[in-house]
Amino acid sequence: MRREIGCNRIDHEVSRRSFVAGSAAGAAAVGGLLTPAQAEAVKSGQKRILQVFLQGGVSQFESWDPKPGTKYGGPFRSIPTSVPGTHISELLPHTAQRMHLLSIVRSVDLKTNDHRIGRLRLEKGRTTGEFPYVGAVASKYLAPPNPPLPGYLHITTRGLEDNTNAFLGAQHAQLKLLGVNAPENLARPAGINEEAAQRRNEFRRLANERFAGRGGQPAFTEAFDSSFEMARRLMKRKSLFEQEPSAKDVERYGSHPFGVRCILARELLNNGATCVKVTHHGYDTHAENFNFHLEQLDEFDKTFCMLLDDLHDSGMLESTLVLVYSEFGRTPKLNQRYGRDHWGASFSVALGGCGIVPGAVVGSTNADGTEVAKREVRGGHLFHTYFRALGLDTSANHDITGRPVPIGDPAAAPIEELLA
Amino acid sequence: MTDLAEDKSMSDPQTGNRPAPPPLPENPIDVTQTHVVAEFKHDIPLTTCRIDPTGQFVFAGAEDFHVYRWSLSGDDSSKTIFAGHQSWVRSLDFSRDGNLVFTAGYDHQIGVWNAADASPKPIRMIDAHKGWVRWVRVSPDGKLLASCGNDNLIKLWSIPDGKLQQEFVGHKRYPYAAVFHPDGKRLASFDLMGVIKDWDIETGKELRSIEAKFMWGFDQKFRADMGGARDMRFSEDGKTLIVAGLTEVTNAFAGVHKPMLLLVDWEKFEHRHKWKDDAYKGMAWGVCEHPDGFLVASGAPQGGNKGMLWFLKPGEEKPFHSVQLSHCARGLDITPDKRQLAVPQFDGKLCVYQMTAPLNISGTARTS
Repeated sequence: MRREIGCNRIDHEVSRRSFVAGSAAGAAAVGGLLTPAQAEAVKSGQKRILQVFLQGGVSQFESWDPKPGTKYGGPFRSIPTSVPGTHISELLPHTAQRMHLLSIVRSVDLKTNDHRIGRLRLEKGRTTGEFPYVGAVASKYLAPPNPPLPGYLHITTRGLEDNTNAFLGAQHAQLKLLGVNAPENLARPAGINEEAAQRRNEFRRLANERFAGRGGQPAFTEAFDSSFEMARRLMKRKSLFEQEPSAKDVERYGSHPFGVRCILARELLNNGATCVKVTHHGYDTHAENFNFHLEQLDEFDKTFCMLLDDLHDSGMLESTLVLVYSEFGRTPKLNQRYGRDHWGASFSVALGGCGIVPGAVVGSTNADGTEVAKREVRGGHLFHTYFRALGLDTSANHDITGRPVPIGDPAAAPIEELLA
Repeated sequence: MTDLAEDKSMSDPQTGNRPAPPPLPENPIDVTQTHVVAEFKHDIPLTTCRIDPTGQFVFAGAEDFHVYRWSLSGDDSSKTIFAGHQSWVRSLDFSRDGNLVFTAGYDHQIGVWNAADASPKPIRMIDAHKGWVRWVRVSPDGKLLASCGNDNLIKLWSIPDGKLQQEFVGHKRYPYAAVFHPDGKRLASFDLMGVIKDWDIETGKELRSIEAKFMWGFDQKFRADMGGARDMRFSEDGKTLIVAGLTEVTNAFAGVHKPMLLLVDWEKFEHRHKWKDDAYKGMAWGVCEHPDGFLVASGAPQGGNKGMLWFLKPGEEKPFHSVQLSHCARGLDITPDKRQLAVPQFDGKLCVYQMTAPLNISGTARTS
């Protein structure tokens, strides 16, 4: 289906050319194109992650691995992309034009059809055990000292109270943001001025030192300390949640909840966040799979591409790993309600940006999409790939009070052909 | 409720073919005796069906992108493929003489075909809408074809040359169905959100609009809309617009809702009667009016596979009869003589039901 493009790619090409020319001319020229925050983000050299989680399980047939005209292919057609030979679903016309910035893994087999287990296997890169999520690992190893924002921010509207940091410190746990609302209690209590607040904070620090000096376990105070520190940083950046998105941004990204959440995600990344996860709900389509994918992917497609464009045009994409994923895909076979059910045996994940070869397609499914045909990929492979792309040695160990724990699953390895 | 036993009395035991055309049964309409008289098999789920105006053929769309034609007096071997669309066909209609069949494709196209060709090829494929073409209907005078699609437009096409005649702009969400009023001057349409519009065919202007929000639901958890007409027709006298669909959506993504029929008083343009089956979670996929003063509707359940035929009198709360189908219905049509029903099913079968008592083996009427 053709949809209103909203903006012409040539605009972005011009913008990129201008950016390159500006870079060559010097920092002053760059400063004219980027916001100060973006310029700082590019200059800092920090690496970061943007996770776009299509909750419920986006259909691989209706997105990254279309099979039109086959037994289970459904009604949608495939369309060519900016990568010659690569086709994706007609439901992603904007993404198709930017496929040269992304790659697709079409052969993911998580060996589960369970929402929670699928999510955990992708986030932890392990099939079992308590291990930190991608975002927590990013917070631990990619965030600079004294980061301006909590390391792992998740913009969502629903539940999911997992133990995301596992054995990593509490400061690396997911901070869940309910939509674009600021976390609660960011404002200083009435009656406490700045000076009083500083004195209270200093008193807390001294009490912690005294506790530690008397043999108290540092882990107890570190967890509290990190919470206070996180709150302090967020209070300083309160304006990020208070500013209304510009009319231009709303026009580009859309006024729907996913649109304004992606605008916030961009602002958080621009302002020093290490991992930002945005959840787009509504893909668990046991009924009316096609009508719902029309709606959901129509919302996702342009909005995601505006965010991708902004990262690309600012130069931040080179240092930002972008992931688009679900906890599983959907069954090849349609049920009687025009639905597709849970299917973790052969589905797709898209990724791009920092350290990832652009425009690649890894693996394949068979003609009817019922199983992986080539290059089976599991959660562990993806986990290794993400962090190797970001420059982290995933064969190294976490140091858990002297006990080594491998960062990546030793039974898995990176997808080398995806690594730039 | 009737237990179905296939009536094989009309089949030739030597060839498996039924004599063509079958003599009209003498038995009077008695829906309590509704029984299967033919079953055409396909290996892919069907999406819709229509019987041509001559009553010779039944056509069905399938999830393999093709349309299939069977002879109502023949058997499976009469199956003829209409290949030309690149996606599913969910709506069909015919020229008044039955010579042409028009197909609405999710490939954004309308197909025009000779209905009786032995090896059908499209006469014309029209790039009709930006997005799915959800519905096609021929005007009472046979000169115009109405379509609606995912570009939120209703369009009128000249049948002789396939040229666009008129666009009706006004629906904000996908229109699911559009049908001509029998007077040929007006057109009704029904969209995802339960908005019903009345259009002037001559000017293309929207004349009236009412809402049937109870045939739409917004799933708060998943944040998605579910609604729309799955079938829509005018009564033959033009006084009632009849819509089949769903109501009381409690979980859109699991398909938890109830089947609904809505009768709209066309003159007053207000809801006359709403019928839902509280005991049956699922969807009403088709509806037909019978000249004996009742409606027939087909449905599919949320779980299990037992489709349903409901026989209802307008205004009454409960069906006076129902028939359990061998699988989930995906539509419904009635023969021109109003004695038989065709039901396309999810299991790929197209079942033909006769609304009379079965004939005995000698072909004479058997009353019960």
